Amino acid sequence: MKRIVLLAALVLLNPACKRTAQEVVVYTSVDQVFSEPIFKEFERKSGITVRAVFDTEETKSTGVLNRLIAESQHPQADVFWANDPVRPFLLVKRSLAQPYLSPSAADIPATFRAADGTWTDFAARARVLLVNKKRVSPAEMPRSIRDLSNPRWKGQTAIANPLFGTTTMHIAALFTMWGEEQARAFLTALRANNARIVSSNGEVKRLVATGETAFGLADTDDGFEAVKEGAPVEVVYPDQEGMGALVMPTSTVLVKGGPHPETGRKLVDYLLTPDVERRMAESAAHMPLRPDVPVPPGLKRVSDIKAMQVDYARVATDMERIEPWLRQWVGL
Amino acid sequence: MLVLSAAGAVVLLTSALPLARLLTEIPGAGAAALSVLSAFRPWLLLIRSLMLAAAVTACAIAIGVPLGLLIARTDLPGRRALWMVHAFPMFLPPFLLALGWFQLFGREGFLGGEVTARLLFSEVGLVAVLALTFSPVVTSMMALALLGMDASLEEAARVAARPWRVATRILLPAARPALGLAAILVFALSVSELGVPMFLRVDVFPAAVFARLGGIRYAPGEAFALVVPLMPVAIGLLFLERRLVGAGSFAVAGLRGMSRAPIPLGHWHPALAAVSWSIAVAGALPLGALALRGARGRGFGQLPQWIGLAPWTSLGTAVVAATVIVAVGLVLGHGVARRLRGASMLDALAVLAFVTPASVLGVGLIAVWNHPAMGGLYASVAILIVGYIARYAVVGIRAVASVVLQSPVHLEEAAAAAGARFWRRLTRIILPVNLRGVAAGLLLAMVFCLRDFETAVLYYPPGREPLPVRIFTLEANGPPPVVAALALSHVVLTAFVVAGGSLLVLRRRRA
Repeated sequence: MKRIVLLAALVLLNPACKRTAQEVVVYTSVDQVFSEPIFKEFERKSGITVRAVFDTEETKSTGVLNRLIAESQHPQADVFWANDPVRPFLLVKRSLAQPYLSPSAADIPATFRAADGTWTDFAARARVLLVNKKRVSPAEMPRSIRDLSNPRWKGQTAIANPLFGTTTMHIAALFTMWGEEQARAFLTALRANNARIVSSNGEVKRLVATGETAFGLADTDDGFEAVKEGAPVEVVYPDQEGMGALVMPTSTVLVKGGPHPETGRKLVDYLLTPDVERRMAESAAHMPLRPDVPVPPGLKRVSDIKAMQVDYARVATDMERIEPWLRQWVGL
Repeated sequence: MLVLSAAGAVVLLTSALPLARLLTEIPGAGAAALSVLSAFRPWLLLIRSLMLAAAVTACAIAIGVPLGLLIARTDLPGRRALWMVHAFPMFLPPFLLALGWFQLFGREGFLGGEVTARLLFSEVGLVAVLALTFSPVVTSMMALALLGMDASLEEAARVAARPWRVATRILLPAARPALGLAAILVFALSVSELGVPMFLRVDVFPAAVFARLGGIRYAPGEAFALVVPLMPVAIGLLFLERRLVGAGSFAVAGLRGMSRAPIPLGHWHPALAAVSWSIAVAGALPLGALALRGARGRGFGQLPQWIGLAPWTSLGTAVVAATVIVAVGLVLGHGVARRLRGASMLDALAVLAFVTPASVLGVGLIAVWNHPAMGGLYASVAILIVGYIARYAVVGIRAVASVVLQSPVHLEEAAAAAGARFWRRLTRIILPVNLRGVAAGLLLAMVFCLRDFETAVLYYPPGREPLPVRIFTLEANGPPPVVAALALSHVVLTAFVVAGGSLLVLRRRRA
């Protein structure tokens, strides 16, 4: 027993466990594989230790957000780095966002910044169709998200569970754009067409990459990863002749009442630098919002695609409103 | 009484308080919580989950009972190695194994095609994956119980009876407490499993609960309203387990010792060896797929970059939590075995915390422990320890109860008659007599803590995630070879713990 206690004491008190005087706590729904190297770089440059909480693929976008809400009586996070621009509105609505106008955000287009500084967007993704080129000929290549409900592809398409992740925002954006009736009709048609409702966008990527399904709806970074892994996948920006593709910048929020407000502001300043936008473009296929940040070959800029013109604040409201119906649609 | 109160306080503070705290959320949720319970769909999902869990338990028993018997009591060649290979899958979070199965039997998997993919992504696939994952729990509990059994009963029977009769009339009844515990564990693990059904696209009850906590709208009141129907399930499980265990238990740990000649399999040798090894290898196949994936993509070379402090966090918290779990289990498990009413009630609470979906328990833990009055506890690794105790206290209680049930009561009675107080009886008689079983309980509790993902993911301290959490957060778009290599590291870490623990248990046995 003594040995067990000694081992436990050694493990729990090992030097790496010691708190440093300068630290910042960040909750992020941006994939760990992309965000952690950026935190490490911040640690190297600032000397401030970053303690992070990440989402899993299955609870993407909602996991850490709900944790922030659950902890709202005694906030533990200093910064929330969201992987979409809608979740910050949910924090603003609950008075959990501390206004902060970061000097780093001065050259980010004004439409991507809250005037009161409660949120600031940068590095963006878009919702895209991932198509398996072995299963779909060039002539049949889907061009619109409505192709997901085309009987030609019955049982051969996939979308992530819309109760979680960026799919939630996408479906809510369709309700905002199309109105209640059309959006519900589309989702009903999707069900009738036996589209697979899978656990995550990562799972959509896996199914399309392995040819399990012909095509599916996911994010640009999923497509980028699939192509990088050598999968026979084509990334299609949908509805370029129609309403456009949904663009989703990542977003930073300084959490009200966080334990380290000063270092929190420093981290927000760092995240909003052009250098981080460049790094996110290179490592994670996120499109820079600034026009002068270079992009790697193959990656489009937001200005290169036709983007869906939608009010993110309205999408946030619609997202909460449609939740009961959406849960019924999923069957939970 | 003081000792019992202290052990009870641990269960009340960790397991019961979070559930009680969430109970207070139901009135706030009001009509929404009521409408959740009056809707048809959640009940349908609950029935579906119970049926799936029953199927998984039946399959795990069908695999685990004969294997446990073969491993513990026969001359099957390489039975210790067989046990190790077979037990490996239970050391991993089930979702990772599902991922391994997908790499094998997905449409483009190493052995896959259209039909295998269709089967895998169905109820059949779910039951098969979970049964193969959880059957080692049954095998191991059976084997440990049979290895610990006094040899005199079996030897007396073997004088007159054939091996089959010895197995069914002596060995299996003697192992009933262990089998009861194994069945309750497998059923509870299956009914609360979320990751594998979500991955295999099978709708289950925990997903309905999770949708209210991890989904668009954060509604803990509604989520907890859905836990209410689980209470009769927990009580039903306890009732079933006590019927199964209580009536049939008898003292099997005597003075004769445990060593005896194994039962010869005779001409059944080759066939039984082939079947046993096929089951063990089948269960370990997904690990092979993960290893292949890790090696092919040079994932192991990138481990130092990605593994962080996670193994330290996992190991340290699991050691402390398992020690507390077993200390509590020693007091309450003994109480349960000797039918103390207070202990039985606390045991029921621990069972409820175990079958409650991990996400609900996690939210309850946040509500209770994220408080300024708690100082830095919530933001430190201590919250992981609290969470593990909350969820797995039942493992310690039931593990100790099952071994105490098999030990004679007269030693304790004699000590009490001589004036020894409870603490003295506990440390001088109950612990030494059941030391091997308690050590096995410690090992089991450690394995549960090490493989936990679904509870810890909700509140793990920033920057101090345990290894399974790190695997799953990196799984989101992380390089698959790195994820596979991390998963293999988890297997190695757990194998190291199990090997060390087994040595301890076996050494005690020899002593």
